[in-house]
Amino acid sequence: MMARHLNLFIFMPQVFIILFSIFTVSQCLYEDQVGKFDWHQSFIGKLKFAFGDASGKRAIVATELNVVAALSLKTGNILWRHILEKDPQTNILFLSPTSSGEALVVTGGPKPLVRAFDPINGALAWEWTLPSTFPFDRILWAVSTEKLYALSLNEGEDFVVQQFNIRTGSQTSKWKTIVPWVHKSKCVPSRDLLICHSGKTLHTIRFSQKDAKPYPVELGQPIAQIESVKSGEKAGVFVDLSNLESGPSSQVVLFSDQGQTSVKCKPLSSPARWVFFDSVGESNIILQMVQRDEKLSIVTSDCISGNKIEESTGGVKYPADLGPPHVESVVCGSNHDMASCRLLINSPDQAITLVQYSGKVLWSREEALAQISAVEMMDLPVSDKDAAIEKEFDSKEAGVLGMFGRRLVSQALQAQHLLQTVFGLHDPIQPAGQRADLVRDDFGLHKMIVVATKAGKLFGLDNLNGEIIWQKALVNVDTRSMQLFIQRTTRHGPFPAQCLLLLKDKISKESILYTFNPITGEGSRRSLGYRVLQAMPLPVVDEESLRPILFLDSSEKVHIEPQSAISLVDPLASNTYMYVADPVTGVMTGYTLAQSTSERLVASRVWEVVFQPETQTIQSVVGKSPQERVHSQGRVLGDRSVLYKYVNPNLVAVVTQGTDTVHKYVLNVYLLDVVSGAIVFSISHKRAREPIHLVHTENWVVYTYFSEKWRRTEIAAIELYEGKTQSNSGTFSSLIAPVQPMVERQSYILPAMVQSMSPTITEKGITSRHILVGLANGAVLEVPWIFLDPRRPVTVTPEMREEGIIPYMPELPIPTESVINYNKTLPQISGIHTAPSGLESTSLVLVYGLDLFYTRVAPSKTFDLLKEDFDPFLISMVLIGLGLASYTTKRLASRKALKQAWK
Amino acid sequence: MEYPKLLFAAISLSLLVCFSYGQRDVEPNQDVYTIEGRIFPPDTGIPPSWYSQTRILANGGEYIAILRKDNSFVFNHVPTGSYVIEVVNPTYSYEPVRVEINSKGKLRARKLNYIQTSTVDPVAYPLALTPLARIRYFQIREQWRATDFLYSPMVLMMVLPLVIIMILPKVMNDPETRKEMEHLNSLTRYDMPEMSEVLASFFTGGEKQKSKAVRKKKAQ
Repeated sequence: MMARHLNLFIFMPQVFIILFSIFTVSQCLYEDQVGKFDWHQSFIGKLKFAFGDASGKRAIVATELNVVAALSLKTGNILWRHILEKDPQTNILFLSPTSSGEALVVTGGPKPLVRAFDPINGALAWEWTLPSTFPFDRILWAVSTEKLYALSLNEGEDFVVQQFNIRTGSQTSKWKTIVPWVHKSKCVPSRDLLICHSGKTLHTIRFSQKDAKPYPVELGQPIAQIESVKSGEKAGVFVDLSNLESGPSSQVVLFSDQGQTSVKCKPLSSPARWVFFDSVGESNIILQMVQRDEKLSIVTSDCISGNKIEESTGGVKYPADLGPPHVESVVCGSNHDMASCRLLINSPDQAITLVQYSGKVLWSREEALAQISAVEMMDLPVSDKDAAIEKEFDSKEAGVLGMFGRRLVSQALQAQHLLQTVFGLHDPIQPAGQRADLVRDDFGLHKMIVVATKAGKLFGLDNLNGEIIWQKALVNVDTRSMQLFIQRTTRHGPFPAQCLLLLKDKISKESILYTFNPITGEGSRRSLGYRVLQAMPLPVVDEESLRPILFLDSSEKVHIEPQSAISLVDPLASNTYMYVADPVTGVMTGYTLAQSTSERLVASRVWEVVFQPETQTIQSVVGKSPQERVHSQGRVLGDRSVLYKYVNPNLVAVVTQGTDTVHKYVLNVYLLDVVSGAIVFSISHKRAREPIHLVHTENWVVYTYFSEKWRRTEIAAIELYEGKTQSNSGTFSSLIAPVQPMVERQSYILPAMVQSMSPTITEKGITSRHILVGLANGAVLEVPWIFLDPRRPVTVTPEMREEGIIPYMPELPIPTESVINYNKTLPQISGIHTAPSGLESTSLVLVYGLDLFYTRVAPSKTFDLLKEDFDPFLISMVLIGLGLASYTTKRLASRKALKQAWK
Repeated sequence: MEYPKLLFAAISLSLLVCFSYGQRDVEPNQDVYTIEGRIFPPDTGIPPSWYSQTRILANGGEYIAILRKDNSFVFNHVPTGSYVIEVVNPTYSYEPVRVEINSKGKLRARKLNYIQTSTVDPVAYPLALTPLARIRYFQIREQWRATDFLYSPMVLMMVLPLVIIMILPKVMNDPETRKEMEHLNSLTRYDMPEMSEVLASFFTGGEKQKSKAVRKKKAQ
């Protein structure tokens, strides 16, 4: 009886919170809270094509992520942006300005289109289709005087020119020119010329003319690569020469309209990617970007003589190992003055930088953030003052007197600090290399967002404003699978926090570890020498508070990182299990470390589940978040009995997509215990297909799929209960007679397309959980779990009403008030990361995709925070006023009593 | 409940999951059609970022149309099938429409109904979409009102004692009311016995009865 009473007591806050959240329906923002605790950053992705428009104010760019945008040259901000189809086969093939100023974009893939955008507001000027049978991989595109040319190159034989009217898309003419030297990789169009190289010769031909004559140019040295000139009025190429004796050099060759050589500049020692035409003096000036010890500087030289004219004094900071930068575009003002020219530089780490001719950086954009693959939010280290207090308790061997002395010293320090803050005398001395404001706050709301991107670049972002604190580019890495682990948090005294990034080498495909400090970004890279199949952090820490991580390699050997922690594994080995899912073979395998010795770790197979690859393929495997805590063990029903949750930490949800001759698409969801290999529950949806998104926490699984039958997105919820009795309240064991859980399930219609889904998470799990759903229309919806509850009945009994269950409705509402990103539309959401804050009520949210959006949500309202309009000043004034009033009335009353006594 | 420390399994996994739209429905020699329509901008005029922020999506972005300067749009390369056309704008909401293209290339537009998917509620084609409303993302803050201020506990705390202090003595000074009050007081005094007395009599009486009962038992 006593135990039950206690349980009920524990559930009370939860019940209260649930009831509270029904009546308030959902939380919304006030208009004056915009930007108060959220921020939004827009990105475009890795630069592919760019040009500066005629006004000299904006650059029109097209990127690898199928985005066409206009960037302000003054600030680097996005003026307008269009996100084209996100299809793995669709990509932007060509971007060029038309003679009337529009930005012409050619996209390939199964839906080839030619679109032209207004450069000022981004409106579509015209759009026409290309036949999908076009051989896009053999075509070079060019624009010339209201015509779009498609040059289809047949390797070493001929090329076919198709001329289109640029506005309507009607094919005006088509002809074939037989030239033996054409190869797609060796040719570039420049103005009206097609320029190709073979051996030591450059060939040019005017492609816009039907029977044009080719001209050869001998350069005398073997040509490695050519690139067309981007600035000026003349056609031309930058040539990279490869000479075995004197090393690589480069040369600029310019041509007249018909293709004859007009200017051949002197070969230069480093590659040139920019040429400037002095229209007055009829001379050409070559500008080069030269990389010298972590700096890029701009060198100006005369074309004919090759004499150096000037070298920029400043220089752009640039990591030496990053690989050469690429000058994507040169934007000059209309007055043809070299001083007004700016270079748009695209570096291999996906940063876009605008550099002035003098070497001054105008702005820089980190486009690597458009493709994030792993996120963690880290607590910041404590301030020096707090660290001093903590230090007091560090050494216990000091005697009573020593402790007392230390106590006095720290008290004195605190008093000094207090006085300093009161009188505004803050000491500016801060630890080296760290910013003053990067310290933990009282509520744990200030964190460091550690981000690993597909470009191989790591960032540390301040979560309050999105500012980049540190960045680090990793080179020669395969970033298709990346995993980020926290080995040590900032809470462990003198040791700095440590994160570990697991990724692969680009060439050897062997796994690499990058160990770094998440607060400063400093770290070291190490090759493991094997391919990691599975990685798992251990639940213990070593004497340096470092969490060891187990790696299972492709030959089923187990490794541990750091190696010294092997002694820690020994007592745990018999209870340690791992699993691996192979989407190709459809096999899931479970391993045990029980046969390990204190010197060597051995993984032996214990179970195997095969999802026949002929009938179904594994789409995703979703486990529970290791950070998650389940606060309540059950749910109080209307009749005051408790329905205990089936909380199995070893449960994973496996989603497979199968094809069937009858139903076409079949979606299967399996709940698998990865310790025992037992399938706890499975469900199959006929005629349901991807996109599938699944959330798995506590005792429930929520997933969305597209129903082919009804042509709508459906969201299904599965909830598992042990029943009215609990088998074991302490620890859950998968091995000791696992109970078959009770399953409640229900599905709802979600009138939108889903792109990503994630549950909120709080520190202790007391707060009710909401599900954040990223929709295709760019909204992130906060759906309370109560709406997805599988126990929502069609007819509500009074008992159920008391329990706080709302009646079943087939379609879930999408109230615009519960869109957490309000009018900041987020295109192509690829993930939502949630992290607990120091406040139990608040969960921190980072939505990533093409854009970054950070906010915080309070699923049960901020019950542990005073309201915003709470005014301590007013309250103290009222209290003082009341006190004064009572004192004066007391005096007045006594005077009156005295007067009456004298009467 | 905290997670057990003894049994656990790896949660992280190195799986490559790709969702691809492209592989589905694309057969090279399929006939393709166009879906056309126009959007009416809000009556209040065209906002500055109207053209870049208004996107027209078919099936949540499988096909994308971009708004022209005359506010018309076209989806190109659309094979036969059923498409949900929605206009996405951060400020104004538009009603989504379902457009179906049958195997003969005939287009039909109807109202989107996710619950009764077979009901046909025709909509004019080419599509003409009008804004429904301005989207409300924000809760409206409560306005400051005098009554709210007066009824707030703080103010009541100040005002009520004031009333008691200032008005009650004046009322008491009036001789008639004083008489009345005294009368009332006397009434209550006579009618209401002292609580302690009642309790005392009750308990003592009870005890007497009890003792009587005991005695009776003894007598038997």
